[in-house]
Amino acid sequence: MATTSRIEVRQNGPLAAIREFLAKVLADEEIASVMAVSNVRGAMMPTVVTDPEKLSAVDPFAPAFHLNAARQVARLTRGEMEGHMAAVLRPCEIRAFTELVKLNQGSPHNIVLIGVDCYGAYASRDYHAMTRANGSKSPDERTLEFMGKAPSGGLEDPAATPPVAQACRVCEHPSPEGADIILGLFGADASKEMWAIAKTPTGEGLLNRLGLPDADSLEARDRAVEEMAARRLAALEIMNAQTAEKISTPEKMADYLADCVNCYNCRVACPVCYCKECVFVTDVFEHEPWQYQGWARKKGALRVPVDTMFYHLTRLAHSSTACVGCGQCSNACPNDIPVMEMFRLVGGRTQAAFGYEAGRDPDEPQPLSVFLEKELAEVTGGVD
Amino acid sequence: MTATYDALVVGAGVAGIRSALDLAGTGQKVALIDHSPHLGGLLVQLDKQFPTDNCGMCKMLPLTERESSSQFCMRKGLFHSNIDILLSTRLESLEGDPGQFHAVLRKHASFVDPTRCIGCGKCAEVCPVEVKSEFNAGLEARGAAHLPVPQAIPNHYVVDLDNCVRCWRCYDACPTKAIDFKFAERESFNILVADPDPQTTADLAEWLKKQKFPIEGPVDGNSVLERAAEGKDVRLLILDMSLSDVSPERVLSRCLELNARLPVILTGTPEQAEAARLLEQGALAFVEKPLDRAKFVPWLDKLYMRIVSDEIIEIDAAAVVLAGGFSCYDPSEVADVLGYGRSPGVVTSLELERLVSSTGPKGRGLLRPDGRPARRIAWLQCVGSRDLKKKADFCSSICCMISIKEANMVRRLTAEQEGGPAETTIFSMDLRVFGKPFQSYLDEAKASGTRFIRSRIHSIIPDPADPGAVRVEYLDDAGVLQVESFDLFVLGVGARPPAGMNELARAAGIETNEWGFCKTMPFEPARTSRLGVFAAGSFSGPRDISESLVMADAAALGASRLVNIYAPLRERRPQPEPEFRDVTRERPRVFVAVCSSCPMVESRLDTDALTRRLRAMSGVTGVALVDRACTSQGWDRIIDKAREVDPNRVVIGACMPYAYVPRLHELGKALNLNPALMDVCDVATLTALGGDDGEGTDSEVFSRLRMSVAKLLGADPRPTAQARPASPVALVAGGGLAGLTAALAVADHGYEVHLVEEREELGGLAMNIRRTLDGEDPVKHVELLIDQAGKHPNIRIHTDSRVALHLGRAGRFFSVVNTPDGPVPVEHGAAVLATGGVESKLYEWGFRVHKNVMTQQELEQRLADGTVDTAGLNAVAMIQCWRSRDEERNYCSRVCCQQAVKNVLELKRRRPELPVFVFYRDIMTYGFMEHFYTEARRTGAQFIRFSPDNPPAMEHRDGKTIVSAFDPVLGRNVEVHADLLALASGIEPADHSEIAEMFGVEMDEHGFLKEAEYKWRPVASTKYGVFVCGLAKGPANMEESIAQAQAAAQRAVRMLHEKHLASGAVVAEVRHSLCSLCGKCIEVCPYEARRLSPTMDKIQVDELLCQGCGSCAAVCPNSATILRGYSDRQVLSVIDAALEETV
Repeated sequence: MATTSRIEVRQNGPLAAIREFLAKVLADEEIASVMAVSNVRGAMMPTVVTDPEKLSAVDPFAPAFHLNAARQVARLTRGEMEGHMAAVLRPCEIRAFTELVKLNQGSPHNIVLIGVDCYGAYASRDYHAMTRANGSKSPDERTLEFMGKAPSGGLEDPAATPPVAQACRVCEHPSPEGADIILGLFGADASKEMWAIAKTPTGEGLLNRLGLPDADSLEARDRAVEEMAARRLAALEIMNAQTAEKISTPEKMADYLADCVNCYNCRVACPVCYCKECVFVTDVFEHEPWQYQGWARKKGALRVPVDTMFYHLTRLAHSSTACVGCGQCSNACPNDIPVMEMFRLVGGRTQAAFGYEAGRDPDEPQPLSVFLEKELAEVTGGVD
Repeated sequence: MTATYDALVVGAGVAGIRSALDLAGTGQKVALIDHSPHLGGLLVQLDKQFPTDNCGMCKMLPLTERESSSQFCMRKGLFHSNIDILLSTRLESLEGDPGQFHAVLRKHASFVDPTRCIGCGKCAEVCPVEVKSEFNAGLEARGAAHLPVPQAIPNHYVVDLDNCVRCWRCYDACPTKAIDFKFAERESFNILVADPDPQTTADLAEWLKKQKFPIEGPVDGNSVLERAAEGKDVRLLILDMSLSDVSPERVLSRCLELNARLPVILTGTPEQAEAARLLEQGALAFVEKPLDRAKFVPWLDKLYMRIVSDEIIEIDAAAVVLAGGFSCYDPSEVADVLGYGRSPGVVTSLELERLVSSTGPKGRGLLRPDGRPARRIAWLQCVGSRDLKKKADFCSSICCMISIKEANMVRRLTAEQEGGPAETTIFSMDLRVFGKPFQSYLDEAKASGTRFIRSRIHSIIPDPADPGAVRVEYLDDAGVLQVESFDLFVLGVGARPPAGMNELARAAGIETNEWGFCKTMPFEPARTSRLGVFAAGSFSGPRDISESLVMADAAALGASRLVNIYAPLRERRPQPEPEFRDVTRERPRVFVAVCSSCPMVESRLDTDALTRRLRAMSGVTGVALVDRACTSQGWDRIIDKAREVDPNRVVIGACMPYAYVPRLHELGKALNLNPALMDVCDVATLTALGGDDGEGTDSEVFSRLRMSVAKLLGADPRPTAQARPASPVALVAGGGLAGLTAALAVADHGYEVHLVEEREELGGLAMNIRRTLDGEDPVKHVELLIDQAGKHPNIRIHTDSRVALHLGRAGRFFSVVNTPDGPVPVEHGAAVLATGGVESKLYEWGFRVHKNVMTQQELEQRLADGTVDTAGLNAVAMIQCWRSRDEERNYCSRVCCQQAVKNVLELKRRRPELPVFVFYRDIMTYGFMEHFYTEARRTGAQFIRFSPDNPPAMEHRDGKTIVSAFDPVLGRNVEVHADLLALASGIEPADHSEIAEMFGVEMDEHGFLKEAEYKWRPVASTKYGVFVCGLAKGPANMEESIAQAQAAAQRAVRMLHEKHLASGAVVAEVRHSLCSLCGKCIEVCPYEARRLSPTMDKIQVDELLCQGCGSCAAVCPNSATILRGYSDRQVLSVIDAALEETV
């Protein structure tokens, strides 16, 4: 059975406890750096920390999620590295990283994944509005306030002011299952204790070296995870049904995407969109003038830029099997197009069609990289 | 007219195609003929083949020339600029000597003009004739006008004159007037009647009035001779045997002297026996008198049509390859074989193939005769094989595997049925799974649920309780009589010499063996009895695809060796590579030429409007309508008009785009423009299919041409020049039988060969064999090879040497050979690995402990040198499959059964009364070796089968070995007190790990060097440019090793021949700045042409291996990898061009 340790929270509160815990991690002889979200000039951004002093700015529980760090982690692990990096990540970041590893974009060998139990985060816009409206509070205070409110599930109510992001409200993976070590919050009284749960030999080795006290039963956490997952699955089902209706025909889908200006922010923000350069900005889509004229002739009026629907469909085709539902696409959209909703629906269905789940298992090959003589019989009619 | 070729290949099944491709690949001109109207031989009827359960013929596509021909599914068509294909053509005679053969070919008319036939099928619809369809194995009817196979490219209907009833309905129905029965020409077909009886002439004149044949007569013998001497136009002579003034014999011989091809028909009473002699002298036919009008008129009219329509083609060729294949045994030959023909539930294995095929007979499928689904299907092996009564004292070698495959197919096909897959049962005597991957194929079939029963069923009767089914009785292993019913009972029919074998053998002047197959020479498996004529494929004995292709390569090598003597390949100058102008910096100027004279185009297309619309397109600078583009005059007109426009892109709208590839090369030369910037688009089929009123045809055609224009506008105009000369040197590793054979074969083509042998002596394992089963002396043969290799000016032998380093890629390898005199660097273009195998050595069952236990090979040697004295023996026991076909080595070693039979025959020859007992699992005397097995049984030797879960037990007592085992025939245990026990030692691979790693080739699960593809690329290793043969690749007997070595040499010569190893124009390339190195393209590449660079920062494409299939481009999400000639941008614009008119 995996090792489970207790992280004691003293009067300085959970953030101090977690910084202390990370300091111990950084002090370990095998760990060269710790990657975690820090307060950098007032913004909550991933940072790679090598100086224990700088851990004072680290806040892995902050309700801000400006970008999915999987792409950064992949970049940092691709190639040779001295020592190991311990990366503190949200569950969806770990799952996205797992997908990137399958695509040879990152390597799991020199990294210890420390996953946090994730209550979700505010959409960037809401978070910024909050900080502006409430400038007197320190970032730590805001985090602690969030940690106080979140466990009840109240922030998942759309009526909350503000609620956590839509993607988080329908996230059925709040527990970071692919991590080497889980930082357990669920079911714990964060003013007293948290847990560090080793899930892999790597994690166990590190945790044992840290010399923390053993934890008691994790039953409370298991129950909390189960409860959350059930609640969010129910919400996901409702959301999927609504989205399905909204994009059920090409016409409706065009309406859905009507505000898109082809800025491609959603693709830049997407952690599993791994191409160095998107095909939509290459010469492939530099059409000839006669083509534009031809399209215009056929339709009578041609919306430019063109290929908007094509772009979204292509991205669905390329990435929906790897979609982890982190919601960064919607977070990045300047025109509030519900991109995440569309990807959760389509991604959920394509992944189900292949019996695949993005981020579930590093050894599970991506659907399009395997050829099975007989599959998708309902599409092919089962004929050879 | 006589055409000159390097080689003539007779038979265009897979083996013939392969031989032709081999020869064509080394720049030789080949005429490939086949008597049937289609390519592909028997394989067009088989959808899937063992042991891969797919077709896979396309694995040979890399052998075609991509740039100068079209590549299609090879079951459909073959296109190669060096191969002329003549279908419906037979070899009539072959005169001359090696190097200068003269062949006469007869091409049977199909009466359908392929340039006019649009494949609409109207002729077949109206044809009233119903005969058994060859393609569907007689399970379906076809007309006299019919399509021979559904999938061929090009695919034209043919009229089978023999079955035609001359109703001419097809002629009337044909919308393009493609059918030609030569009606008009009858009026000038003069028939001369030399019959003293004036009534004959009168009758004929009356009878043939409708046909309007000019009939002249009666004339006497002298006037016939006069007319013949004057050269008067006589097209047919009817010569009566009762002619009295000059003897009919003299008339005939004189007429034929003057015109060898004059058709002469003899008439007379049946008693006039000399007619038979005259037929031999060249008369065409003998017709009994009195003439029967109802029979004679149609017969004569058909004869006329043949005479004027058939074509006689004479060719000169340096060498001939015969690839006549085999035919399947027809159980209806003899009345009521196993209920075949009487019970509809009894079918042959070929019929079953058709029943389960998607192109099988309509409305049949896998059903019982009464229409219910067939749920219980059984196969019976050895129908027409291993059967002395049917004059088949040979094993057909392929039927066991075919039946297992069919059982697999049936199970898959019925897997979704209620109750799961159908029950499959195979009845057999032995299961001959002797090919390397066959044993595991059998094991899988067993595991998946097919039942295997050892029994030879003698009769099949309708089931009295269920009339739709058949009932069989058999004795099971326990000797109990079992009765079982089956819905379908499949006869695993054996192989027979091909139909028309005798005529072909006579025409080609070759001998046949006692089973009617082509006779070949000892240690020269591809050589026939006639010098310069080679046997490919299964022409010399039944073989599976893999071995047929090996024999095809070996035959091609024989032919090529011969051709090489007269016109050395190395000295031939390759066609000068045309240099095309670089149009990269020019604005596109497209010239569109549309053929306006295709029958449908004329009537259904508004050509003026089309021209106008094409001219209006951006980028189009010239449009021309050209009359009959398919003729050379038409082509010249295209060239002329194109010159006027000076285009840098050319679109041609015509028919049959695949036929134009060589033409485009001509045009390329004329315009100094790369043919990659030209496209042929099929407008003829569109117009033909466009409905009777031509509705929508105009826009369809325009849109198709527009697509072609868009494709060319988007084409990458950069010149493609990537030529690299191959080093004209080969490295052969291994100096045994295979290595020596390969080295000599390559060296004979003028290429330098380095032969590397690890040991101090050449010769290898073959030196341990005293004689072959056929009684030949292998040591003598190998010593001869060693002598030849030693004296060969092109061979350098390195004994006691090893390859120490190997780098580079096909065409340009660099190796270092460590010799006793120091390292020798070798630059070479190809490598052949013939590093051999070893006899298994194991120390159990008393071997090496008891003096009377030895291997079969030791027994052979000790019999030969006299250390075993048969006089002192009371009994001999042999145990087969001692270490083969078990979990550890799950393959048959092939040679052990042959060796056992050989030793049995030798023991019995010396002491006929000596009791010999052979314990075996399956006797693997495949092919004609079966005959020795029969002989061994005749000598009285006892063959006792054991099953692997109950092997013989043994005990050593007083210098004797007591073997006890269960005898399934007697149904009880037997005990043999043997003075001598011979164990069948299997073949094991030599330790190839080092050589495999150095050469970058893979090993299979047994440790043999792995073939790139077991069936279709049997001597290619997994690395391009490195070939494998002999025991290094798997167990084989000497003949097989020799054939493989020759095949490997053939492949190596082909590679060395390349003065310019050029890649195709359509190859994948990587745009590194866009590539994320995700590696998906490496996984999907079926040709292993892609890899991550050693520095891990680039995906590299081997442009020689890349076949341009586009899988990588499809899987790449951002077009970082692209296929030249198919860029996304280009394809998207083509789609736009297609949709603009229609959507």
